[in-house]
Amino acid sequence: MMVLVVGGSGSGKSSYAEKTAVSLAQVCMKKYYLATMQVFDDEGREKVERHRNLRNGKGFFTIEQPTRISGALEKMAVGDRTVLLECISNLMANEMFSEEKAMTEMQVTENVIRDIKMLKAQTNHLVAVSNNVFEDGITYDETTAKYIQAMGKMNQKLAALADRVVEVVAGIPVIMK
Amino acid sequence: MKLVIGGTAQGKLEYVLLKYDVQKNMVWDGVLPNDRKLNGNIVIINHFHQWVKSRMASGGCPEDEIMSFLDCHEDCIIISDEIGNGIVPIDPFEREYRERTGRILVQLAMRAEEVERIICGIGQKIK
Repeated sequence: MMVLVVGGSGSGKSSYAEKTAVSLAQVCMKKYYLATMQVFDDEGREKVERHRNLRNGKGFFTIEQPTRISGALEKMAVGDRTVLLECISNLMANEMFSEEKAMTEMQVTENVIRDIKMLKAQTNHLVAVSNNVFEDGITYDETTAKYIQAMGKMNQKLAALADRVVEVVAGIPVIMK
Repeated sequence: MKLVIGGTAQGKLEYVLLKYDVQKNMVWDGVLPNDRKLNGNIVIINHFHQWVKSRMASGGCPEDEIMSFLDCHEDCIIISDEIGNGIVPIDPFEREYRERTGRILVQLAMRAEEVERIICGIGQKIK
Protein backbone atom coordinates (compact mmCIF):
# COMPACT_ATOMS: atom_id res chain seq x y z
CA MET A 1 0.00 0.00 0.00
CA MET A 2 1.00 3.64 -0.38
CA VAL A 3 0.73 6.11 2.49
CA LEU A 4 1.20 9.87 2.15
CA VAL A 5 2.18 11.66 5.37
CA VAL A 6 2.00 15.46 5.44
CA GLY A 7 2.72 18.00 8.18
CA GLY A 8 4.54 21.21 9.01
CA SER A 9 7.95 21.93 10.59
CA GLY A 10 8.40 20.04 13.83
CA SER A 11 4.97 18.39 13.52
CA GLY A 12 6.29 14.90 14.22
CA LYS A 13 5.60 13.71 10.67
CA SER A 14 8.97 11.92 10.28
CA SER A 15 8.54 9.97 13.45
CA TYR A 16 5.00 8.97 12.49
CA ALA A 17 6.02 8.02 8.93
CA GLU A 18 8.78 5.82 10.29
CA LYS A 19 6.46 4.01 12.67
CA THR A 20 4.05 3.49 9.80
CA ALA A 21 6.76 2.03 7.56
CA VAL A 22 7.97 -0.27 10.34
CA SER A 23 4.46 -1.52 11.08
CA LEU A 24 3.71 -2.14 7.38
CA ALA A 25 6.91 -4.07 6.74
CA GLN A 26 6.73 -7.73 7.58
CA VAL A 27 9.62 -9.33 9.40
CA CYS A 28 11.47 -10.66 6.37
CA MET A 29 10.89 -7.56 4.27
CA LYS A 30 13.77 -5.21 3.50
CA LYS A 31 13.27 -1.61 4.63
CA TYR A 32 14.78 1.26 2.70
CA TYR A 33 15.00 4.90 3.67
CA LEU A 34 15.33 7.21 0.67
CA ALA A 35 17.00 10.38 1.86
CA THR A 36 16.54 13.39 -0.42
CA MET A 37 18.14 16.15 1.62
CA GLN A 38 21.40 17.60 0.34
CA VAL A 39 23.70 18.56 3.17
CA PHE A 40 25.51 21.89 2.86
CA ASP A 41 26.24 22.95 6.46
CA ASP A 42 26.25 22.00 10.14
CA GLU A 43 22.52 22.53 10.50
CA GLY A 44 21.94 20.05 7.67
CA ARG A 45 24.34 17.60 9.26
CA GLU A 46 22.53 17.91 12.61
CA LYS A 47 19.18 17.28 10.96
CA VAL A 48 20.49 14.18 9.23
CA GLU A 49 22.01 13.02 12.53
CA ARG A 50 18.71 13.53 14.39
CA HIS A 51 16.81 11.53 11.79
CA ARG A 52 19.48 8.83 11.79
CA ASN A 53 19.11 8.48 15.54
CA LEU A 54 15.34 8.23 15.21
CA ARG A 55 15.74 5.36 12.73
CA ASN A 56 18.55 3.72 14.65
CA GLY A 57 17.99 0.04 15.33
CA LYS A 58 14.87 -0.13 13.19
CA GLY A 59 16.65 -1.87 10.32
CA PHE A 60 16.42 0.72 7.57
CA PHE A 61 18.97 0.69 4.80
CA THR A 62 19.62 4.30 3.76
CA ILE A 63 19.89 5.34 0.12
CA GLU A 64 20.89 8.93 -0.59
CA GLN A 65 18.86 9.99 -3.60
CA PRO A 66 18.55 13.78 -3.85
CA THR A 67 17.19 13.71 -7.44
CA ARG A 68 15.65 11.21 -9.86
CA ILE A 69 14.12 9.22 -7.05
CA SER A 70 13.35 6.10 -9.11
CA GLY A 71 17.13 5.66 -9.45
CA ALA A 72 17.01 4.29 -5.90
CA LEU A 73 15.38 1.13 -7.27
CA GLU A 74 18.66 0.17 -8.94
CA LYS A 75 20.33 0.23 -5.53
CA MET A 76 17.85 -2.14 -3.87
CA ALA A 77 18.09 -5.90 -3.60
CA VAL A 78 15.45 -8.00 -5.35
CA GLY A 79 12.52 -9.19 -3.27
CA ASP A 80 9.91 -7.75 -0.93
CA ARG A 81 10.54 -4.21 0.23
CA THR A 82 9.07 -1.32 2.17
CA VAL A 83 10.28 2.15 1.23
CA LEU A 84 10.16 5.32 3.29
CA LEU A 85 10.71 8.41 1.13
CA GLU A 86 11.65 11.59 2.98
CA CYS A 87 10.83 14.08 1.81
CA ILE A 88 8.96 15.31 -1.25
CA SER A 89 9.63 18.98 -0.49
CA ASN A 90 13.41 18.51 -0.66
CA LEU A 91 13.12 16.32 -3.71
CA MET A 92 11.05 18.96 -5.51
CA ALA A 93 13.45 21.75 -4.51
CA ASN A 94 16.42 19.67 -5.72
CA GLU A 95 14.73 18.88 -9.02
CA MET A 96 13.62 22.46 -9.59
CA PHE A 97 16.70 24.37 -8.45
CA SER A 98 19.78 22.20 -8.84
CA GLU A 99 19.32 20.80 -12.32
CA GLU A 100 21.54 22.42 -14.92
CA LYS A 101 18.95 22.39 -17.63
CA ALA A 102 16.05 24.47 -16.42
CA MET A 103 12.71 22.69 -16.61
CA THR A 104 9.33 24.21 -16.02
CA GLU A 105 7.70 23.31 -12.73
CA MET A 106 5.07 21.39 -14.73
CA GLN A 107 7.74 19.17 -16.25
CA VAL A 108 9.38 18.64 -12.88
CA THR A 109 6.07 17.67 -11.28
CA GLU A 110 5.33 15.21 -14.08
CA ASN A 111 8.80 13.65 -13.86
CA VAL A 112 8.62 13.24 -10.10
CA ILE A 113 5.14 11.72 -10.27
CA ARG A 114 6.30 9.29 -12.97
CA ASP A 115 9.23 8.32 -10.72
CA ILE A 116 7.00 7.81 -7.71
CA LYS A 117 4.60 5.66 -9.72
CA MET A 118 7.58 3.47 -10.59
CA LEU A 119 8.56 3.26 -6.92
CA LYS A 120 5.01 2.39 -5.93
CA ALA A 121 4.79 -0.31 -8.61
CA GLN A 122 8.04 -1.94 -7.55
CA THR A 123 7.65 -1.90 -3.77
CA ASN A 124 5.25 -3.68 -1.43
CA HIS A 125 4.74 -0.57 0.66
CA LEU A 126 5.66 3.04 0.01
CA VAL A 127 5.45 5.71 2.70
CA ALA A 128 6.06 9.22 1.32
CA VAL A 129 6.56 12.26 3.56
CA SER A 130 5.60 15.72 2.31
CA ASN A 131 5.37 19.18 3.81
CA ASN A 132 2.58 21.58 4.35
CA VAL A 133 4.27 24.76 3.03
CA PHE A 134 1.03 26.55 2.23
CA GLU A 135 -0.21 28.42 5.26
CA ASP A 136 2.20 31.18 6.23
CA GLY A 137 0.32 33.92 4.37
CA ILE A 138 3.50 35.39 2.90
CA THR A 139 3.68 36.54 -0.72
CA TYR A 140 6.98 35.21 -2.02
CA ASP A 141 9.20 36.00 -4.99
CA GLU A 142 8.31 34.37 -8.31
CA THR A 143 10.65 31.40 -7.92
CA THR A 144 9.38 30.46 -4.47
CA ALA A 145 5.78 31.03 -5.55
CA LYS A 146 6.30 28.56 -8.41
CA TYR A 147 7.76 26.07 -5.97
CA ILE A 148 4.73 26.39 -3.69
CA GLN A 149 2.41 25.91 -6.66
CA ALA A 150 4.34 22.84 -7.76
CA MET A 151 4.28 21.41 -4.22
CA GLY A 152 0.53 21.95 -4.04
CA LYS A 153 -0.02 20.10 -7.32
CA MET A 154 2.40 17.43 -6.20
CA ASN A 155 0.61 16.77 -2.92
CA GLN A 156 -2.72 16.54 -4.73
CA LYS A 157 -1.35 14.00 -7.20
CA LEU A 158 0.32 12.00 -4.44
CA ALA A 159 -2.88 12.00 -2.40
CA ALA A 160 -4.76 10.65 -5.42
CA LEU A 161 -2.18 7.86 -5.81
CA ALA A 162 -2.07 7.00 -2.11
CA ASP A 163 -4.28 4.46 -0.38
CA ARG A 164 -4.05 6.42 2.84
CA VAL A 165 -3.33 10.11 3.51
CA VAL A 166 -2.47 11.28 7.01
CA GLU A 167 -1.85 14.80 8.28
CA VAL A 168 0.30 14.89 11.42
CA VAL A 169 -0.68 17.69 13.81
CA ALA A 170 1.37 18.11 17.01
CA GLY A 171 2.39 14.48 16.63
CA ILE A 172 -1.23 13.33 16.29
CA PRO A 173 -2.23 11.55 13.08
CA VAL A 174 -5.38 12.95 11.49
CA ILE A 175 -6.62 10.57 8.80
CA MET A 176 -7.64 12.42 5.61
CA LYS A 177 -8.18 9.45 3.31
CA MET B 1 -3.86 19.96 30.73
CA LYS B 2 -5.76 20.74 27.59
CA LEU B 3 -4.06 21.90 24.40
CA VAL B 4 -5.82 24.12 21.85
CA ILE B 5 -4.04 24.79 18.57
CA GLY B 6 -4.84 26.24 15.16
CA GLY B 7 -3.89 28.91 12.67
CA THR B 8 -3.79 32.55 13.61
CA ALA B 9 -7.12 34.42 14.03
CA GLN B 10 -9.24 31.27 14.11
CA GLY B 11 -11.10 32.21 17.28
CA LYS B 12 -9.16 29.93 19.61
CA LEU B 13 -9.38 32.16 22.70
CA GLU B 14 -13.08 32.91 22.19
CA TYR B 15 -13.69 29.20 21.77
CA VAL B 16 -11.96 28.43 25.06
CA LEU B 17 -13.66 31.26 27.00
CA LEU B 18 -17.09 30.11 25.83
CA LYS B 19 -16.54 26.41 26.26
CA TYR B 20 -15.11 26.60 29.77
CA ASP B 21 -17.12 29.63 30.90
CA VAL B 22 -14.10 31.48 32.22
CA GLN B 23 -13.29 35.17 32.50
CA LYS B 24 -10.68 37.02 30.53
CA ASN B 25 -8.78 37.88 33.70
CA MET B 26 -7.67 34.26 33.95
CA VAL B 27 -5.93 34.52 30.62
CA TRP B 28 -2.17 34.96 30.56
CA ASP B 29 -0.99 36.38 27.31
CA GLY B 30 2.39 35.11 26.10
CA VAL B 31 3.64 34.61 29.67
CA LEU B 32 3.51 31.94 32.33
CA PRO B 33 1.99 33.19 35.60
CA ASN B 34 3.85 32.92 38.87
CA ASP B 35 2.22 30.96 41.69
CA ARG B 36 1.18 33.82 43.97
CA LYS B 37 -1.17 35.34 41.43
CA LEU B 38 -3.22 32.21 40.80
CA ASN B 39 -5.27 31.51 43.95
CA GLY B 40 -6.23 28.11 42.65
CA ASN B 41 -7.94 29.48 39.55
CA ILE B 42 -7.82 27.67 36.26
CA VAL B 43 -4.91 28.94 34.17
CA ILE B 44 -5.27 29.78 30.49
CA ILE B 45 -2.09 30.54 28.60
CA ASN B 46 -2.79 32.30 25.33
CA HIS B 47 -0.28 32.87 22.51
CA PHE B 48 1.92 30.12 23.89
CA HIS B 49 4.06 30.25 20.71
CA GLN B 50 5.01 33.85 21.60
CA TRP B 51 6.16 32.72 25.01
CA VAL B 52 8.35 30.07 23.32
CA LYS B 53 9.83 32.73 21.07
CA SER B 54 10.53 35.14 23.91
CA ARG B 55 12.19 32.39 26.00
CA MET B 56 14.34 31.43 23.02
CA ALA B 57 15.31 35.05 22.43
CA SER B 58 16.43 35.44 26.03
CA GLY B 59 18.39 32.20 25.97
CA GLY B 60 15.97 30.16 28.07
CA CYS B 61 14.95 26.55 27.63
CA PRO B 62 11.22 26.60 26.90
CA GLU B 63 11.15 22.79 26.59
CA ASP B 64 12.16 22.28 30.22
CA GLU B 65 10.47 25.38 31.59
CA ILE B 66 7.00 24.47 30.37
CA MET B 67 7.31 20.91 31.66
CA SER B 68 8.32 22.17 35.14
CA PHE B 69 5.43 24.61 35.06
CA LEU B 70 3.01 21.79 34.23
CA ASP B 71 4.37 19.65 37.04
CA CYS B 72 2.89 22.28 39.40
CA HIS B 73 -0.11 23.34 37.27
CA GLU B 74 -1.43 20.28 35.51
CA ASP B 75 -4.90 21.81 35.37
CA CYS B 76 -4.44 24.43 32.67
CA ILE B 77 -5.35 25.23 29.09
CA ILE B 78 -2.61 26.09 26.64
CA ILE B 79 -3.53 27.92 23.44
CA SER B 80 -0.97 28.09 20.65
CA ASP B 81 -0.82 29.03 17.00
CA GLU B 82 0.37 26.38 14.60
CA ILE B 83 3.32 28.09 12.93
CA GLY B 84 5.07 25.29 11.05
CA ASN B 85 2.88 25.14 7.94
CA GLY B 86 4.92 27.35 5.65
CA ILE B 87 8.07 27.73 3.62
CA VAL B 88 11.14 27.07 5.78
CA PRO B 89 12.45 30.56 6.62
CA ILE B 90 15.89 31.75 5.52
CA ASP B 91 16.55 33.39 8.91
CA PRO B 92 18.13 30.80 11.27
CA PHE B 93 16.32 32.04 14.38
CA GLU B 94 12.94 31.91 12.65
CA ARG B 95 13.71 28.44 11.38
CA GLU B 96 14.68 27.22 14.84
CA TYR B 97 11.62 28.92 16.35
CA ARG B 98 9.29 26.97 14.05
CA GLU B 99 11.03 23.65 14.65
CA ARG B 100 11.24 24.00 18.40
CA THR B 101 7.69 25.28 18.78
CA GLY B 102 6.48 22.33 16.70
CA ARG B 103 8.38 19.83 18.80
CA ILE B 104 7.22 21.38 22.07
CA LEU B 105 3.63 21.12 20.85
CA VAL B 106 4.22 17.43 20.07
CA GLN B 107 5.41 16.95 23.68
CA LEU B 108 2.46 18.92 25.07
CA ALA B 109 0.01 16.95 22.91
CA MET B 110 1.44 13.72 24.34
CA ARG B 111 0.95 15.01 27.86
CA ALA B 112 -2.48 16.59 27.25
CA GLU B 113 -5.70 14.86 28.22
CA GLU B 114 -7.35 16.55 25.25
CA VAL B 115 -6.13 18.28 22.07
CA GLU B 116 -8.43 20.43 19.97
CA ARG B 117 -7.65 22.08 16.67
CA ILE B 118 -9.64 25.20 15.87
CA ILE B 119 -10.53 26.16 12.30
CA CYS B 120 -13.03 28.95 11.54
CA GLY B 121 -13.93 29.03 15.21
CA ILE B 122 -14.91 25.36 15.16
CA GLY B 123 -13.12 22.92 17.43
CA GLN B 124 -12.06 19.55 16.12
CA LYS B 125 -11.05 17.13 18.83
CA ILE B 126 -7.97 15.29 17.62
CA LYS B 127 -7.12 13.68 20.94
